[in-house]
Formats: sequence, structure tokens, C-alpha cells
Amino acid sequence: MRFAFYPGCAALAIAKEAYRSTLLLAERLGLELVEMVRANCCGAGLFNDKNRELNLTLNGRTLAQAEEMGLPIMTICNTCFMVLNRARAELDRDDYLRDKVNHHLARIGLRYRGEVKVKHLLQVVVEDVGIDRVKGLVRRPLRRLQVGAFYGCHILRPSEAVAFEDPDRPRSLDDLILAIGAEPVDYEGRTKCCGFQLDLVSPHLAYRMIGKRIMECRDRGGETMITGCPLCHINLDSYQGYAGKEVGFKLDMPTFHLSQLLGFAMGFSEEEMGFAKHLVSPERVLKDRGLL
Amino acid sequence: MRIKVKIKRCDPTGRGGCEPYLQAYDVDVKEGMTILETLMWIKENLDGTLSFRRSCRSAICGSCALVVNGTPKLACKTQILREYEGAREVVLSPLSNFRVIKDLVVDLSPLWDKIGRIEPWLQPGSEPPEGGWIITKDEVERIDRESRCILCGICNSGCNSQEVDPEFIGPSAAAKVYRFVGDVREDGKRRRLERVSGPHGIWDCSRCVMCNEYCPKRVEPMTSIEKLRVEAIREGLVDNAGARHVEALVDSVNRVGRLDEAVYTFRSLGFLRSIGMIPLGIRLELHGKMPLPHIFPAIEGIEEVRELIRAVEEEE
Amino acid sequence: MVIHDIVVIGAGLAGMRAAIEAARAGLNVALVSKVHPVRSHSVAAQGGINAALKEDDSWEAHAFDTVKGSDYLADQDAVEILCKEAPENILELERMGAVFSRDERGRIAQRPFGALSYPRTCYAADRTGHTLVHVLYEQILRAGIWIYEEWMVVSLVVEDGICRGVICLNLATGRLHRLHSKAVILATGGYGRVFKHTTNALINTGDGMALALQAGARLMDMEFVQFHPTTLRRTGILITEGARGEGGYLLNREGERFMKRYAPEMMELASRDVVSRAEQTEIDEGRGVDGCVLLDIRHLGEKKINERLSQIRQLAIDFEGIDPVHDPIPVRPGAHYSMGGIEVDVWGETGIEGLYAAGECACVSVHGANRLGGNSLLETIVFGRRAGRRAAEYASSTELKPFPDVFLKEAAHEIALILNRDDGERASTIRHELSSTMNGCVGVFREEKGLKEALDRVRELRERYRKVCIDDKGDVFNTDLQNALELKNILLLAEAICLGALERRESRGAHYRKDYPKRDDENWLKHSLFCLKDGEIRIDYKDVTITRFPPKERRY
Repeated sequence: MRFAFYPGCAALAIAKEAYRSTLLLAERLGLELVEMVRANCCGAGLFNDKNRELNLTLNGRTLAQAEEMGLPIMTICNTCFMVLNRARAELDRDDYLRDKVNHHLARIGLRYRGEVKVKHLLQVVVEDVGIDRVKGLVRRPLRRLQVGAFYGCHILRPSEAVAFEDPDRPRSLDDLILAIGAEPVDYEGRTKCCGFQLDLVSPHLAYRMIGKRIMECRDRGGETMITGCPLCHINLDSYQGYAGKEVGFKLDMPTFHLSQLLGFAMGFSEEEMGFAKHLVSPERVLKDRGLL
Repeated sequence: MRIKVKIKRCDPTGRGGCEPYLQAYDVDVKEGMTILETLMWIKENLDGTLSFRRSCRSAICGSCALVVNGTPKLACKTQILREYEGAREVVLSPLSNFRVIKDLVVDLSPLWDKIGRIEPWLQPGSEPPEGGWIITKDEVERIDRESRCILCGICNSGCNSQEVDPEFIGPSAAAKVYRFVGDVREDGKRRRLERVSGPHGIWDCSRCVMCNEYCPKRVEPMTSIEKLRVEAIREGLVDNAGARHVEALVDSVNRVGRLDEAVYTFRSLGFLRSIGMIPLGIRLELHGKMPLPHIFPAIEGIEEVRELIRAVEEEE
Repeated sequence: MVIHDIVVIGAGLAGMRAAIEAARAGLNVALVSKVHPVRSHSVAAQGGINAALKEDDSWEAHAFDTVKGSDYLADQDAVEILCKEAPENILELERMGAVFSRDERGRIAQRPFGALSYPRTCYAADRTGHTLVHVLYEQILRAGIWIYEEWMVVSLVVEDGICRGVICLNLATGRLHRLHSKAVILATGGYGRVFKHTTNALINTGDGMALALQAGARLMDMEFVQFHPTTLRRTGILITEGARGEGGYLLNREGERFMKRYAPEMMELASRDVVSRAEQTEIDEGRGVDGCVLLDIRHLGEKKINERLSQIRQLAIDFEGIDPVHDPIPVRPGAHYSMGGIEVDVWGETGIEGLYAAGECACVSVHGANRLGGNSLLETIVFGRRAGRRAAEYASSTELKPFPDVFLKEAAHEIALILNRDDGERASTIRHELSSTMNGCVGVFREEKGLKEALDRVRELRERYRKVCIDDKGDVFNTDLQNALELKNILLLAEAICLGALERRESRGAHYRKDYPKRDDENWLKHSLFCLKDGEIRIDYKDVTITRFPPKERRY
């Protein structure tokens, strides 16, 4: 299985662990990733706040590049996944807009044809690789580890555009948690927001969201959280100090990007999976469960 | 088919104040039966003390919004069997983010207050000519989605920003603002945009997409918020973290094709607030999270990106 | 003591329009509504609002269509006002912020509607009522009009023949309150919930009509109930006449456009009474499909359907599981509108000083025996405004006289009786029997035997209501109590409907007697009047006002 790999800005910089783990994991899963080195930032939705056409044009470029490569796109970021899919859906729905965008793209010799698929790593793992295959690759079952699946927003919504799984009752991450031998924890905020987009705008709101999500998971017995999104991962991991103050509780919840915990369960080391890059170290929890 | 319908109840005059409890009812449900019909059946046949709101039962009055298996919906247009099939149970609770009055009835006054505060009436600059205004179909279309709002509160119930900030303008009031900002006849556009550019305004939307996802009338309030942000920036209302954030990102993409986090943080927050972020920055650095050196190489093909940005700007 | 110059009961289009007009006179106006204003049933109106706007149309043509549609029972002086004032009212709604759908030149678009000789119906897609309700609500906020939201009026206070205010139940607290006022305007809409199969909202229990009757006012023409030809099979949800206005067909099981046999000229766009009877005949004679006929709009194409009929497309999908782009919609007649109501003059004045009424709860009468589509929204705006203006004039020239406590005590006593009764009959049982009876015997086709049965049954149910019992004994948001109070109202109105229908031995407009299938102008060109004497409904008659259109045979 070959994919045009669109890692997204966060995974290339502040959440590099997600990028590195994905490359290792992909090899193990037999996914051939052709990195889209010429692709631009998806804008995380912010292009839409400036100019809707700018959003469609710049993301149209990425979509058209993948079409040139003849490959479906794979992202490892919920927001990239949503933004690219939302742009794709809008372009597919509206002939007028598509013509406009193609008019711009013609200046750089590209054309969006409406053929490309945009998938997320999580989707690729459950749909293309398959849960059984994942199970078969597990070398270090994460027994008894209580893992809260944090789906977040953009892998589920808007469901019409991302068209992945039931936005009300997602199960893909939970299935994977089971597949790697751990125990999924159900909790209220699993499909809610991590607040990433407010980090720099209204940080207190973001911290409150982070605090709530972690407490919701913790209250149901979660001892780690896993997410398919480097932005959620950064937020949940980096701001627990501030978030703890908002919810009046000292937080220490280790969080992982999907690729890290899958890779770890498949036998990669904690160094290879970049655990040291986390602000909240998973070491204690993993030791408690005899996994380190 | 007989199923159990669990309803989160709360009786403010009963024992324990308004401590909510789940009550289960056995109901024979048929294909096509809606949640509202189920509630009415329970009230008529099993328990007259159950309270819920309802009026039109055809998804246009907005009375019967509630939470079905964790998701805010209109009871009248939601089929109970579809819900049961999906979750193997049906749990009905009152809308989130509002105070419960009794059972499934919540106090919507914060919603009405927010709507009232945006001055929700047309403020035209001039009297219409005799025979009425000439308005094109496209101009009607521009505010068509926002005009569909039924003020049911579903978006507010789902809104993640409202959950952490009850003062947040909320999706429904924001959509209502756009309904006027986007109206060709409106004269108070700039003043409206100024108001929503402040604290608890449009920049506090975290883009969780709950409102777009669950709006029963496809108003897409988050899209309205994006449109308001575009208009606010066009009006030059950029002296706030939200607008700076957008400008910084577009600038970064124009320069290097992607996100240059350090510069981006600095520009979004402004100098003083980014100083406040330095301790975190140092911690991130220690964990090898900050890219080193803090100068980003541009992506391959950056000229293409610049060309496209230029093309769109020229058009504008 | 809570005092307002004017209290408006009901916050649909007529009530809000009246309140706005009264507030413009600088008076202290309050709106009382058992639901939040935007939950009012006006919000469900779909198709449009009539006005002769174009140069080649005229108010006279509109008036003629209206009078002909009414089967000559409408009062023509009132119809003239309705049609003359229509255009200015439409333009005012746009000034307030409404956006009607446009034609290619950017002017207000108008669509054909049933029994109109000219495409005269202005519309906002198929959400006209929704658009107007929200616009008027915006104007209510702008004017700072006080809203008693989720307050149900339990009685009108009339002392010495003058209306002095109302007693209301605050649903959120269960407390009774007195509102003293110089004038009261009733605008509570229709009573569709008297019937089982109805387009009406669950809140449409004719409260204002019942309150007025009990307070000594008269009701008029109650036997005239409009059955809308296109309502969804299971739920009775309305599918706008606009669907036929835009070109939809009605088909029977043979795929025949059967209207050609009933109204060869106007076909599907004949007046509603004619189309409903045609449908019912097809169904009764075995040419229906599962108790329905088919409304086919497939040939309009997806684009036009989405642009002009998007709401009804969604309604058909959500409530009938049918996408009208791909399949015809099964529809049948359903109780839709009350042509009758509180007898008022063209200024909304009832026979009681200080008491006014407008909109569906009133009977001016502009609809006579059958209302035209697009005229009800118009009536709410035109006559809501007039009632607001006249009530304001009255209130400005009169002194407030507070009413004594005894009125509150009486109301409290009545409610306590219901709350304290531990043994008795459930309100829902009585209501189901009532609505089935009404649907069965007082529907599209009526005859003496059925009407007598229905009247007897309604009287029996009114007796049984004396022992009505509810589960909820609490104060807070006691909808069980609300339902019981509403039941009392619909029982009273049902009796008036049955009585009027039994007595009227002719067929006119929506009132069709199989045993008297002809219109009888000689004996029955007159309005029925209903009043309450010693708990019993008495019937009387008055002449119809005819100005420019002498009665003629009606063909479509």
C-alpha cells in the first residue's frame, strides 16, 4: 500500500516524535510512504478566517499534487485530515469554486480533478491494514494498561466531509487499544476538543478544555491517553501544569500519539518512539504495568 | 419491539433537590417512531410527571432539543430505532451547557440573552425605494443558511467553547450576527464586527465543529464564525490575538510554506504575552521539542505557494 | 401589582404584530405566551403570503379570489381591507428585515397558489412563516416589549362587561399571577388539536377562543374547518401548497391526475376544500394508495426542489422516509385551519370592551367558509396590526382599574381541584377519544347521523372531564397540568364545532354535508354565532356583508 504522506507542520517540528514513530510503524505495517515534501501547510482551518478561496486554493494545491503522484494522501494529524477533506468536499460540491481554484492552480501547472482520497493513519490502520494484522504484529502486549482513546474533533467532524466513522460512537481507537492488549477506558470527553486552536488566542479556555478532558478520562480510571493527532497530543501533554490550575488538580497524565503506542506494542523501544520528548513522562505508568 | 428508554430526570421539588437520576421505561417501539412520540407515549401511558418541551413536532419550532445517547438532537425528527440500533440503548438527557429546570426542560435564558445582546434586528442605512429593495438571488443566498436557524440551542449544547466559557457568544448568536453582517441592506456591519471581535467573541471558537455537525437545520454556525472572521479582518479589526494568529500563519506560509512556530507564537501573542510563554518554551526545548535552529527552511516549491497567495489576493 | 397598558396573549405572528403596533404608540405592552415566541405555530407556515404587488395584478382581483374561495361567506368589507393593505404590509416586513425570495430582477418573487387568478404569493423558500416569526421576534426585542414566556393564561378577567386583565400560570414555577391591563388582545391561533390528524402544532388547543367564549364573547363560524389537501400520511405534517404551486401533480393509484375530473381548469391548484374532497373521494372509492393519494414533484428536478422546497424535501425524508426527488409523497387531507373564531370587527374588537382578537383565533371574517392559501399569514399581519392600533387607542384614552383578588382565587381553586384529585380519568384518554371522534365524524365529509353522535360524545367527554386526574402534583414545569387545562379548552370548542356543523344544513366551502350537498344561499348565507349560557353553547346567526361580489356558483 502506497500513500502520499502528508505529515503536517506539527509532526515535522514540535511533535517530531509522532513523525518518527509513524515512519517506523509504517514500515512494520508494510505501508510505503512517499513524503509530500513540496506540500504546503494546510492552514489548520485558519486560511478560512482570512479568505475562503485562499483555503481552497492552497489545499487544492496539495490535493492536486497527490493526484499527480497518483496516490491517496495519508495524514497523521486530525486537523490536516479535516482541512484537506473539507476542502476536497467543497471543491467536489461546487463547480464554480472548483473552476476558480483550478484557474489559480493553472498558474503553477496543476489541476485538481476530484479523484484524490485523503486518509488518516488511524483510518489506514483499521481499514487497510486491519485489526487482525495489527494483533499479529504485537510483540509487547500492553496488558492491563488503562488507555483512554482521545478521538478529538477533526477526525470525526464534519462527518460529511471526513466520512470516516460514526462521529457519535467512534470505536476505531478503542479497537486498536484492545488489539495491542491494553484496556480501553470509556469517558465523556473522548470526542470533544483539546482546545489547540485557542492556545495562542484564549489560552485559559484551552487549558480548561485540556483539564476537563484529562479529568474526565482520569475519573473513569484512565492512566494514559492516546490520540491520532499531534495537535491534541501537544496540547494534552504540554499544558498539564496550566490545565491543572484551571481544574484545581495536579495533573500527570501521559499521552501518546497513536503511532507511538502502536509502535511500542509492536516492539519498538521507548527511545525509538520518542517518549523522552513528552513533558509528562509515561515511564512510571509503564513501569507500574511491567512494560518497561 | 420492546426496549428500555432511560431518561435522565430531575425533580427540583422532590427529594434531594435536583439531584439527577436515571429512570428506565419499557416502551414498545415501531419503525418510524420518533423520540418525541416515545416521550409523549411515556407521558400519556406510564408517567405523567415526565416533563419535556414540544410544539411543532416537525423540526421548525426548536422546542424539543435534548441529548440522545450523548448527542444533541431534536426529539421530533430523531427516530428511536435508529438510535437504539447504533448504541443498543437509548439514554435521553437534557441539553448540556444549560441549567436544568425539570427533567428534560432546561433554562434557555442564557441563549435568549445572547441573542438579545447582539441587537438582532436589521439596521438598514436607508429607507427602501418605493416598491421595495432590489436584492439579487445571490445576495439572498449569502445569508440563506443563517436564516434557517430555529434557535433550538443544540449548537450551544454541543459547543466546547461555551462549555468552558459560559460567556462565549456561542454558535447560534454568532450565526445571527452573520445573518445581519451578510445582509446587503445592513448598515451596522462594522459596529457588529467590532463587538464580536472582543473577549468571548468570534475568536474564542475552538473549531470543534460540534455546531456544524449537529445543527438540525444545517445552519453551520462555525462556518458563519469563519465568515465573520474574514469580514472582521477585512474591516481592519486585527488588534486582537485571534486575527494576529491568522495573519501570522498566512505570513509564515507565504515565507516558508508552513508553520514557523516560534515566530507564529510571538506574533500571535504579542511581545508581552509571549514572554510569559518562555518558561514553557524552555521546557519544550529541554524535551527537544523546539526545532533547532529556530529558523525554518522553506519548503521546496515555495514560489508556487507565493504565486497562489498572490493570485488569490489579486482577485480580491 | 403588575400593570401593563396592553397584554397580548399569544406570540405568533398576529400577537407579535399587534404588540409591535401597540408599542409604537408608546404604551407599556406585554406578550404572554405558553411557549417562547419563536416556538409559536406561525413558524410552521411554509408556502407564503399573498399581496397584489405587480402592476398587472390588483387588490380587487385578490379580493375576488378570496371571496370566491370563501364560498361567499366572507365579509367583503373585511376582505377589501385585507387585500388593499396587503402590499404595504409586505413592504413593511421587508423593512423590518424579512428577506423574501427574489425573481430574476431582484424583486420579490411571487408563486402561484391555490385558487389564485394571479401568481400572488410572496414567499421565503418554503419557510415563510419561520422567516416572519423570527423577524417579528427581532422587532419585539428591539421595541423592548416584555415577554412572559412559558406563561399560560388560565382566565380572562371581565368585570362589569370590561376586560381588566388576565390570570396566568407561570409554568416554570407553577405560580398564578395577575396581570392588570387596560386592554387584552387575544392572538392564540387555532385549535387543530381537536382533531387526530392535523398539521397543527401540539400547542394548538384554541386557548384564546375558549377563554373568550367563557368570558362572554361570541365565537363565529366554528363549523368551518379547513382540511389541507397535502399532509403526511402518518404524522399529519404539512406539505406546502407551494409544492403544487411550483408545478406538483396529485396522482391516484392509477397514476391519473385525478383533479381533472374535479377542477378541470385549476387542476391541483383548485381551492383547498375542493382538492381535499377530491382526494377523499379518490381514497374512499378505492383509488388511493394506502389511505393516501400521491403528490409528485419529481419532474421539478432536484435543483428547483432544493431551491424552493428544501424544507418539505427534508420533512418527507425525515418523517415519511421518502425523498421526493426520487419518489412521490403519499399525502392525505388533514385538519389545518380554523376559519371560525372569536367574532371581531375589522379592528379586532370583540363584543367585550377592552378585549380584542386577531389572527386565526379571531373571525373577522375574511376567510368565510374556506380560506385561500397565503391569506392566513396576511391576515395575521394586517389584522394583528389593526387590533394593536385600536387597542392602543383605547388604552390611551382609558383609566386602568385593577381587579379584585377573587378572580385569582377562582382560578387557583380550579387548578387545585385538578391537582388534588387522586382518582379519576387521565386527560390523555379523554383527548384521544375526542380527537378520534372529531376525525371520524366531523371531517371532510359530514352527515347528520355522525354529527349527532359526535356532539353526544363530546358532551359526554365534557362531563367526564369533571373527573380528570393527573399524575404530576408538582409546581415546576407541570406539563401534565398544562395538558389538562388545554383539554378543557378543546372540549369546549369541539362542542361548538359539532353544533355548528350539525345545524348548518347545506354544503359551503370546507363544510360539506353529504345529506345536504348543495350550497343554499337562500337559507344559509349567514354566519353562525356561538355563545355560552349557563355552561351550554347556544347558537345564533347573523348576515354576511356583501359589497361588490354577489354570490355566484363556484367552479375551478
